[in-house]
Amino acid sequence: MKQAVILAAGEGQRLRPFTVNRPKVMLSIADKPILQYVVESLAQNGIRNIVLVVGYRKEQVFDYMGSGEQFGVEITYVTQEKQVGTAHALARAKEVIEKEFLVLPGDNLIGADTIAQFVAIKPEAVLVKRVDNPVRYGVVTIDRGKVAEVVEKPEQAISNIVSTGIYSFTKQIFDFIEPELGLPDVINNMIAQGHSIKARETDGTWLDVIYPWDILNLNDAILRQIQTNLGGTIETGVSLKGQVSVGKDTVIRPNSYIAGPVVIGNGCDIGPNVCILPATSIGNNVVVSPFTQIKNSVIGDDVNIGPCCTIQDSVIDKSCIIKGHFTACSGENEVRINHEHHLVSVGAMLGEGCSLGNSVVAQPGVIVGNYSQIQPLRLISGKLPDRSLVF
Amino acid sequence: MCGIVGYIGERQAQSILLNCLHRLEYRGYDSCGIAVGSDVEVYKDVVRVKVLEKTSPSLTGVIGIGHTRWATHGEPSQVNAHPHCDCTGKIAVVHNGVINNFQKLRQQLTSEGHNFISETDTEVIPHLIEKYYDGDLEKAVETALREVDGSYAIIVLMAGEPKLVAARKDSPLIIGVGDRENFIASDVPAILNYTSRVIYLEDDDIGVVTTESIKVRRDGAEVNRKEHKILWSVKDAQKAGYEHFMLKEIHEQPKVIRDTISGYVSMAEPIADLALLGDAGLEDMLILACGTSYHAALIGKYIIEELIRIPVRAELASEFNYWGQTSARSRTIVITQSGETADALKAMKRLKGEGCRVVAITNVVGSTASRIADQIVYTRAGPEISVAATKSFIAQLMALYWLTLPYSKIDIRRLDSLVTGLRQLPSKVQQVLDNEAVISECAKQLSKYQDVFFISRGINFPVALEGALKLKEISYIHAEGYAAGELKHGPFALLGSDTPVVAIVAQDNTYEAMLTNIKEIKARRSPVIAVVEEGDEEVGELVDSVISVPQVDAIFSPVINTVVMQLLAYYTAKQRGCPIDFPRNLAKSVTVE
Repeated sequence: MKQAVILAAGEGQRLRPFTVNRPKVMLSIADKPILQYVVESLAQNGIRNIVLVVGYRKEQVFDYMGSGEQFGVEITYVTQEKQVGTAHALARAKEVIEKEFLVLPGDNLIGADTIAQFVAIKPEAVLVKRVDNPVRYGVVTIDRGKVAEVVEKPEQAISNIVSTGIYSFTKQIFDFIEPELGLPDVINNMIAQGHSIKARETDGTWLDVIYPWDILNLNDAILRQIQTNLGGTIETGVSLKGQVSVGKDTVIRPNSYIAGPVVIGNGCDIGPNVCILPATSIGNNVVVSPFTQIKNSVIGDDVNIGPCCTIQDSVIDKSCIIKGHFTACSGENEVRINHEHHLVSVGAMLGEGCSLGNSVVAQPGVIVGNYSQIQPLRLISGKLPDRSLVF
Repeated sequence: MCGIVGYIGERQAQSILLNCLHRLEYRGYDSCGIAVGSDVEVYKDVVRVKVLEKTSPSLTGVIGIGHTRWATHGEPSQVNAHPHCDCTGKIAVVHNGVINNFQKLRQQLTSEGHNFISETDTEVIPHLIEKYYDGDLEKAVETALREVDGSYAIIVLMAGEPKLVAARKDSPLIIGVGDRENFIASDVPAILNYTSRVIYLEDDDIGVVTTESIKVRRDGAEVNRKEHKILWSVKDAQKAGYEHFMLKEIHEQPKVIRDTISGYVSMAEPIADLALLGDAGLEDMLILACGTSYHAALIGKYIIEELIRIPVRAELASEFNYWGQTSARSRTIVITQSGETADALKAMKRLKGEGCRVVAITNVVGSTASRIADQIVYTRAGPEISVAATKSFIAQLMALYWLTLPYSKIDIRRLDSLVTGLRQLPSKVQQVLDNEAVISECAKQLSKYQDVFFISRGINFPVALEGALKLKEISYIHAEGYAAGELKHGPFALLGSDTPVVAIVAQDNTYEAMLTNIKEIKARRSPVIAVVEEGDEEVGELVDSVISVPQVDAIFSPVINTVVMQLLAYYTAKQRGCPIDFPRNLAKSVTVE
């Protein structure tokens, strides 16, 4: 197998506000977009000819992935103007693909080991995995190593084996694609017409992000694999424990305490006296002022965090300005996404470009829309739409 | 970045190498060179590939290597250009990457009697190969590379050896498979004119390429690297999904700003010492530039006057060369993207002759301007392909902010908020880009007209000039930038329903005056497109279309508004079907007066 098609056109509507200005594949986990992990896994398995099907906010993908050179791959872009289904997305790539190819979702975290064996087997095949909550996915029934049927998001799952959305196809697939179909439907069509599709199981990394708080789970999973790598300037009196990665041109000022796994990007100004605790990712060009504590959180690029803040289990998107004494403590709370209610244990989730005055307190589970402005001394809770003004 | 290429086959190598180098110029273009034939004849110079094509003598041979450079170690000069040779001139090497331990290797090789002539890191490679060569070139390359710490993609040509040896580590390299000929290059587009069959080398691979065969070895054992068929066309490859380089470069701006800020901040001291430029404190300043850079100079005037509170003159270098007066006490800043603009260089030489100290702001390491200047501030925009300057202009503004801030006389509260604001700029610019659809709609309107006015006041007046220049340059629509208050002294006669006006309205002390101007224009029935800060409610009532931009400190508003101007010009030109990246009659750097 030499070529792979990555489906990267989707929006990720349930991940708003984080997907208002970026496609789901560009969500940042441990300072890299999810898509980059998929591309790197392919490159590690010797697959360097990559077709990216882009659509929603495609410029974000262009700007980051470029021609692929930086990641050791050659990228060809094709556009799916309207996101009507995964099979339709794949059909956009028809003109630029070879006889045999892999198809992968760009918005799942896929480890290199997950696909290491799969890339060697002959098409057609689907990679499956056992999961705890199969009803979120396409449940696969298998008969003697072959797929018998795929049922998308069943009410009741008859097995805990689901499709990872990673397939191996030949050009024949295009004979079965009809607009508005998902790839699982296409698979069922093929089986109905007598095709045999192999099922291969993996126990490697395959994680999905569906809701905003899933970002924290993925971040935790990735950070477990990082290695210490200290760029920038670590001033005297800084304590570093565990695996900590610091980007170039970053300054960590005295008496700061950093317990890994922690990733800090380029050009940041951290401290003095800042405490960063495990499973935290900090983007590029971020300022963290003295006496602030951050734990198990994801902080985007260009964020400015004032003194004496407490930030736990939170996601703060790029360019937020947070003045002093912001409190975002973790706790269990019910969060509403569309019409679903979820009981989750999480801190605050702030969209990009928010500005928070001094001493704002966030209730656990609050979701703040992009570019919102919160006056000092306010308590924020629930779900605030984009450009909210809290006076 | 640099680009490298190699050819071996039955055709004359020279023209094929030059053709491939053309396609690699997006990777760097400060100098280039080739080595051709079984006797390894080298020709290189500090010129673009197009010029080398004309100046190079005809070199015969069916084997050769080529290089186009973007300097990192050693200024662009003929001697630093690639290919580099060993002591005997029999081994020639082209290299893309950075060798970290080259100082140590160089000392060691020098003490062993090797003779170095350039300042580059690359030169250690041919000498190492010479050292280990005992009749087997491939083995010598392999042994040599074991001593090298860093990143590289290299191609080696040796006299009397009918083969090319290539190797890579952390820099891209591919082999193009032809019929009784083969190619090696930094990227696929370089060779797509000749073949679409490609082999990707992996890190630590060593490829031995002859006319008939390609062998790839790794740790001494032969490995099988599969051949790929390329199905895409060369046209789009380097544009990374975008239709034009210009749009790609506009979209690179948040990254350029972020890289620039962290680069400058990490130096933790002023990036150029303005105070030491003369014999006394800062009293006045002169900024010289041409074209788009002149607009950066004009914005620089406002920045410095507001922050340092000294009088500043911004002048066109091409005019200053004939008339301008200056005193030896003046501190001067010269802004030139390429560092090769003839008028800017002439002005610099004159200033130096008159005893002035000169700071140059340039994007090209080691360019002529950087050699003449007393101090250099490099912008970090990277190579810019599109003739219309975009990211290099924004990088010039960032350089001006950083140059000025350490000497500012504003109070600490304002300074604090400016530094925070500066760090936010990448995201604010991204917000403008995310709002592209609205700008593209306005551009559709503009594209229908033959004449457009751009107006503003204060620090955004130069942005109006830049907006008009961009529109003229790429969409071929006649446009004029005007200080809003001057419109009534003449141009009013031209206003009417077929002359639209683009008004840039900043939230500063010019706001009320701009509102008055817009009302005057609307009374003449001109369609008005206004660029206003988010949340503004007054302007929208008066004008036909509104482009909202994120709120920033007024001193940073030129950065935001310029990006709007760039997108407006781009989409207008696109609507009119213009050749955006290479407009008629224009060249990227103007090296004649």
